[in-house]
Amino acid sequence: MDQLAPTAQSLASPIPSSPLPNRAGIGLKAQHYHDILNTRPNIGWLEVHSENYMCAGGPTLKWLTAMRERYPVSLHGVGMSLGSAGPLDQAHLKRLVNLDHRVEPGWVSEHLSWSIADGVYLNDLVALPYTPESLEVFSAHVREMQDALNRQVLIENPSSYLRYKHSVIPEPEFLLSVVQQSGCGVLLDVNNVYVSAMNHGFDPIAYLDQIPAHLIGEIHLAGHSQTNIEGRTIRIDDHGSPICDEVWALYEHLITRIGPKPTLIEWDSNIPSLDVLLGEAAQADAIMTRCGQGPQTEVSHACVD
Amino acid sequence: MLALTDLQSALGAASLGGDAITLAPAIIGDGFEPEQRLSIHRNNTTFLLCEVLATTYPVVKKLVGDDFFDSVARVYVRTQPPRSPCLFEYGGGFDAFLTTLPAVVKLPYLPDVAALEWAWNESFYAVDAEPLSAAALAKVDPEAYGDLIFTPHPSLRLVASAYPIKEIWDVNQCGADPDARVDLHEGAQHLAVLRANTSVTFIELSLGGFEMTARLSAGERLEDAFLSGQRLMTDFDPTATLSVLISAGAFHTFFI
Repeated sequence: MDQLAPTAQSLASPIPSSPLPNRAGIGLKAQHYHDILNTRPNIGWLEVHSENYMCAGGPTLKWLTAMRERYPVSLHGVGMSLGSAGPLDQAHLKRLVNLDHRVEPGWVSEHLSWSIADGVYLNDLVALPYTPESLEVFSAHVREMQDALNRQVLIENPSSYLRYKHSVIPEPEFLLSVVQQSGCGVLLDVNNVYVSAMNHGFDPIAYLDQIPAHLIGEIHLAGHSQTNIEGRTIRIDDHGSPICDEVWALYEHLITRIGPKPTLIEWDSNIPSLDVLLGEAAQADAIMTRCGQGPQTEVSHACVD
Repeated sequence: MLALTDLQSALGAASLGGDAITLAPAIIGDGFEPEQRLSIHRNNTTFLLCEVLATTYPVVKKLVGDDFFDSVARVYVRTQPPRSPCLFEYGGGFDAFLTTLPAVVKLPYLPDVAALEWAWNESFYAVDAEPLSAAALAKVDPEAYGDLIFTPHPSLRLVASAYPIKEIWDVNQCGADPDARVDLHEGAQHLAVLRANTSVTFIELSLGGFEMTARLSAGERLEDAFLSGQRLMTDFDPTATLSVLISAGAFHTFFI
């Protein structure tokens, strides 16, 4: 695994100004602003979609500032489109840099996918063909993003609904090559691994086991839905239901191997009351306490802690 | 093999309702038609962007009903998709788009309601700034009032309509009296939309006051702006309008 160790560049990256604790956090939704400030729930951290807070001013930013005074925050981007063939949107990159300065987040993360074609933002995270061309494009964009932010970023494995005939590199290998070529870390989304594994018929445990512990800066957990197309099921990553038992089991497996890590409970549709998110966060914390304390098969060190 | 840029152009077009002829041969079917797999992405893009419009235009949606709104939003999304990932900026031309739809002719106030909702949205996300206080203005020599030039508060927007759009907006808010009715013949309305503090407010202006505010926002001298207002409305009272605007925080600063 020597070739997958963090590069000199990543080791030289600044330490996150507010590192996330190795506990569960929740995705911050506008519906829960009041409840969180009024009840100050005992959660490790909050995550927001960066794009929702790139406005010039107004109450949304004030809420975020109030949250940041009380909790560590991570910025999770959905719009940089690092996998697009064209150049990165420089104006968007600048807005992210400004938000990073304002929030001083524990992590800044983005997706192993693309969302922009011919200048149009599709509001969708589309899988890449895993080819040498894509690897070059994607890694260069991650380097550009890290250089602009002057910090290491995390890249999240996607959920996917299609694969391309000319894809020649297995996804985990592609992700680790991006790490090697850019010095980024990994945001491992367990639900995404499960969704893609079910949609494409691979072993989710084998996928998880390929990602070395020391590269994982954060974990995501979420629910997904199932759609039936002519008698066959396809799983859609809509973050609109509780985390399913299979994903919890995979999470336990992962934590047993790598130890506790910042773990996000992610809801983006059918958003329930704050209690539901806190319940799932408590469940993730309990798994980290129960399964994450034994001797790990790999030592967690370096770029994250 | 499709180059990445060609693949993304083709998939982007397919996600916006175009055909998938060039793309289908590059997709592994694995039990589905490639088109069925692509339809998941088309649904993601269409459904989620329509939801963004529904969030920005809740009153328009309530006025026309879910089905009509969805069908209109789908056409808008496909013909005017976002160019930025910051979706609070998406949907700016929706009022003009509505005016092009034959079905909207029967609802002539609808584009103006959309314009009001867009103004609310822009005002809500505008940069924060300290409103100009009456005390600061009191220090100005009255002789120099005519030469005052105001910088509008960044959240100030102006919307005029031949219909009572503020009342239409009010009765379609959550918690409004479900039996409330709006008389469409109530007449024209001239509104300043403003977020000087936390929440966005609507301020009703006279025809002359609206004209004066528009001129002031464009950087005209107070005297010139007043005269423009007076040309539209002989009994125009600029002092009353100015007092309302200043106490609402419609200006950020001034110079002479």
